[in-house]
Amino acid sequence: MPTGYDVDRLVLMVRDPWWIFAYWDLRQDTERAARGQLRPEEVPGLRTVLRVHDVTDRDFPGEPSWQWMDIPLSGLANNWYIHTNAPNRTFQVDIGLLTAGGRFLLLARSNRVTTPRAGPSAVIDEEWVASDEAFEALFGATLGALRVGSSPGAWLGQALTGGWSSLALARGSGRAVKGLWFRLDTDLIVYGATDPKAVVTIQDQPVPVRKDGTFDVRLALPEGTQTITVTVTTPDGRQTRALAPVVTLRRAERPERPPTSPPATPSPESSQGIVG
Amino acid sequence: MTRQGFLALVLHTHLPFVRHPEHESFLEERWLFEAITETYLPLLERFERLVNDRVPFRITMSFTPTLLAMLADPLLQARYLRHLDGLIELAGKEIERTRWQPPFHRLAYFYHHRLTTARQRYTDGYRQDLIGAFRALAEQGSLEPIASCATHGFLPLLEINPTAVRAQIAVGVQAFEHAFGRRPEGFWLPECGYQPGHDAFLKAFGIRYFLTDAHGLLFGSPRPKYGVYAPAICPSGVAAFGRDLESSKSVWSAEEGYPGDFLYREFYRDIGYDLDHDYVRPYLNGDGQRTNTGIKYYRITGKTDDKQPYDPDRALEQAAAHAGNFLFNREQQVGFLRTVMDRAPIIISPYDAELFGHWWFEGPEWLEFLIRKAHVDQQTIELIAPSDYLRHYPVNQRLVPSLSSWGYNGYSEVWLNGANDWIYRHVHTLADRMVAAARQFPQPNALQRRTLNQMARELLLAQASDWPFILKTGTHTGYAYRRIQDHVARFNRLHDGLQAQRLEDGWLTSLETTDNCFPFLDYRVYAPSGA
Repeated sequence: MPTGYDVDRLVLMVRDPWWIFAYWDLRQDTERAARGQLRPEEVPGLRTVLRVHDVTDRDFPGEPSWQWMDIPLSGLANNWYIHTNAPNRTFQVDIGLLTAGGRFLLLARSNRVTTPRAGPSAVIDEEWVASDEAFEALFGATLGALRVGSSPGAWLGQALTGGWSSLALARGSGRAVKGLWFRLDTDLIVYGATDPKAVVTIQDQPVPVRKDGTFDVRLALPEGTQTITVTVTTPDGRQTRALAPVVTLRRAERPERPPTSPPATPSPESSQGIVG
Repeated sequence: MTRQGFLALVLHTHLPFVRHPEHESFLEERWLFEAITETYLPLLERFERLVNDRVPFRITMSFTPTLLAMLADPLLQARYLRHLDGLIELAGKEIERTRWQPPFHRLAYFYHHRLTTARQRYTDGYRQDLIGAFRALAEQGSLEPIASCATHGFLPLLEINPTAVRAQIAVGVQAFEHAFGRRPEGFWLPECGYQPGHDAFLKAFGIRYFLTDAHGLLFGSPRPKYGVYAPAICPSGVAAFGRDLESSKSVWSAEEGYPGDFLYREFYRDIGYDLDHDYVRPYLNGDGQRTNTGIKYYRITGKTDDKQPYDPDRALEQAAAHAGNFLFNREQQVGFLRTVMDRAPIIISPYDAELFGHWWFEGPEWLEFLIRKAHVDQQTIELIAPSDYLRHYPVNQRLVPSLSSWGYNGYSEVWLNGANDWIYRHVHTLADRMVAAARQFPQPNALQRRTLNQMARELLLAQASDWPFILKTGTHTGYAYRRIQDHVARFNRLHDGLQAQRLEDGWLTSLETTDNCFPFLDYRVYAPSGA
């Protein structure tokens, strides 16, 4: 992807009532040509600036802007957020070279943008007049309860934070809980092999047997002692065998000391101890 | 008209165009699959049940062309079924695994049943044609479908090229007509992004109304006499309806809203994240990255990590209670508004459709309860679509709404900030090049025409508001970055080939099969007559 384009172009966009955004591309020739117009003594102190004009209801540049401010740029900048702090005003921005003596050489001129209002309009239509009480009530019904700060931005921000963007599905798996979270669960995998044609059940539920005779089942293991009855039966139902391992899960609040006595030996019914 | 006031529920459905035939499976394609299973099918089921029970209602839904394109796409339909089959298999294993844990065991059956039912409805019921299912509801009259922009472009930030703004709307209307066989009466401006003047484009396509956020009307000029509780007529003659924040908040807000209730299902505890990786891996994306499966066993419980098992029956009772509460609050609201208004107010409650079911699991049930209760429990409020209100009250105040959106802080900063502002340089340049090329080639040959049409697709896809949104919010950012980069690069290569008369048929064909949305698209939408 190109980092820029070989054009002279300054584009202005509105972020909100108080901020506008400018980005630009300038051809090298354009700046070179402008520099060519400088007298040698104008070169020291030369700066590139954004000149932000308030052109509300003015046909700039035919008519002069109400006022302007200069924003000096650093060499590599190709975009800038401009704090106009002026809702419902129209702006146009020039980018150019500014000499120490105050001469401005235009490199590119932007489009016009108008910032939105940050509060109700002062204009009232005679045919659609609400009483002051009704107006307060209707606006209050929408925004009033949320109006906490003194600046319009504060209460508007409060009122509108409920809104968001239309991509509910892109929400990730963000965890709501702060701090060190910790979960621990225990699954038990019971597996074995038998005659591929045999019928296998675990806890009286049939289990699929693979072509090679192997089978397995995963079980979420609750606390306490479980006896897992596994039966295999020939297809004709004549012969059955069963095994029943016993598994105990005990959850200790904190790690227990390892046993100092001789290690536990498997009991005859092949019980296993698991401490989770 | 005996009712004291009106309530318009508006559901905005949208997903960005995500389709990657070049990969066997693709993580972000799951957005569509999850939305079908968790939102679109449940909503259709509720609406159809209401129709069968002869409960009269009106609900408004916007459909973005990108979503419509994906719902109609055979590849994604097949992949959805494959995805569903995997989940059904996983749910079956869960029935086994949870045998010693009765609360989870019951939930495993619950999910297995939901998923197998979803599959049966999707295949036998709808023949994979969800658009047709929504169209049937529209023809029956309960649903008012409305259009939206081609790729969910956030129009205020595309303003520098009005032809590109117009094209987002034009293609949106075209896609709607293809899907629903009628002209749209209403239009959903993506993210409620309204720029004064854009209503004139809507007017040109016969649109009668659109929706804005509350301050779009409240800060309009002259002042709106009725606030957001009646529409305003823009200079073009199109009506603007404003969002009611009070009713929105009770559903939107994660903290104060209904979806945060402790009995409701916890979104963030999904077995795709919680269970042993080896066990769930076959049901995740191909790369094994953990992701949501939709199988979730816990309720919100409280501000604790010690979550309790989800109980669907108790959650359902709570959804009914919340529906009653919502309706009661609207009745109170209407009663209050009638004291200061000399006509019946309309309360506009717009939500993202995917909030219902996917994010707020009980949302579709809540909606059904609300519609039933509105029908039998009260006489104050009637559910209507915005177009119905315009028939009741054809005369409305004229004003110019204010630039606004429903994004954070109400304007454009979600889509214009340090994380994403770099994209506009490219998106705007592409639009200018597109307009110039469309004018330059009024009589293209076949290959040039295909190239120009594909350039238009790539431009539209690059303009989606989803990419800057994702870049801002910080999940899936790599994907969003890649999408911008791909569409810009594809457009520029097509453009350069066109200018140099070096068109590559094979490469073009591969693009046409990959970015295959909007087959009806005609690049001349960028060279409108009179422009």
